[in-house]
Amino acid sequence: MNPCGATTGFFVLGRCDRPAVTACRCGRPVCAEHVDAQGLCPECSGVQGYADPYRPGWARGYRRAHYQRTSYDYGDPVLYDTYHGYDREGFDQGGDSGDDLDVGGDLGDGDGGWDDS
Amino acid sequence: MFWRKTREAIGRFHPAHQRLTLERTVSASSVPGEWAAVLASLSQHEVTVKRRKWRLPSRTTAVLVPIIQVLSEDTAPDGAIGVAADFRGPRAPGKKGPERDLPVGGRVRRLTEWFVLDPWLQVRAELRDGSVLEIRVTDRIRHRKIHRVNARGKHKWKTKKKAVQRIDVKRTLARDAAARRPGTAPPAWIRVRVKDGKRVALNATAKLPRVPEENDQLQAILTVVAELFRWTPPQASGRTA
Repeated sequence: MNPCGATTGFFVLGRCDRPAVTACRCGRPVCAEHVDAQGLCPECSGVQGYADPYRPGWARGYRRAHYQRTSYDYGDPVLYDTYHGYDREGFDQGGDSGDDLDVGGDLGDGDGGWDDS
Repeated sequence: MFWRKTREAIGRFHPAHQRLTLERTVSASSVPGEWAAVLASLSQHEVTVKRRKWRLPSRTTAVLVPIIQVLSEDTAPDGAIGVAADFRGPRAPGKKGPERDLPVGGRVRRLTEWFVLDPWLQVRAELRDGSVLEIRVTDRIRHRKIHRVNARGKHKWKTKKKAVQRIDVKRTLARDAAARRPGTAPPAWIRVRVKDGKRVALNATAKLPRVPEENDQLQAILTVVAELFRWTPPQASGRTA
């Protein structure tokens, strides 16, 4: 089974274990619940705008911006790095090599890879 | 009857949405699925209701809805989210405290002071990690009415007010869960207290020197909430649902 790589929760981070049905453009496998109408994962969908708070899943798109801003407010880069590292594990399908950041995604090619999210 | 169709449309709203529209308050405790129904109902408000009197309070869209969305992400499907919101404003009955006279001198004849406490948002959520999160946001407005007489015997009254905001957040951890002090201290405007016991309770209190603009209000609340989650960082790896 190819598990969904979406990060769940906002403050209490978790991992979605549902079977993936597609892959986002960033390379992350996503399940039916976490994929949006354009086939994007919550993070990539959030980059496109999270202005409408009534939209289901709005918080998933807002999450990264929140961690970034709060990390700045606290002067605590660890806060954002912890979230970032945790979220990046969603690319790792094996679950036993969580530090391998090269799994999935089009990193480093400068055309909208994961770091742009 | 005027606005008959609008009244009928409001009658079809979710009960919590109806109260928010007509009474500008809401008090309910439900599971995330039920709150999703409330949000779906609220999302139709703008296109359905045009009457100014029945407009949604601006803090609904700016604060209440995002807070519910955020907590719904962290709550198990059967976990309860309780919300008590009062958007009637600081002039609503019962919020004004007693007046008192302050000592005066010179041309000031009388100086009267009173405070208005407006606890406009209280939220309680049972999170999926077993902890319970409580948020309370209170606006505190100081009013002063000054009566002075100038050199020509002319009487003048002037009223001043100053608003501050207090954000109290409490997180009671699950039984046997431990808290670890984060590497960096929170900003000076956030004070944290830890109470040990069978269940560790983390309290964060923020006193803001002014009430934030509506666009900044949500982030101000979430920034205070975030402090309590720095004490329990997420698992480094592994799929934990």
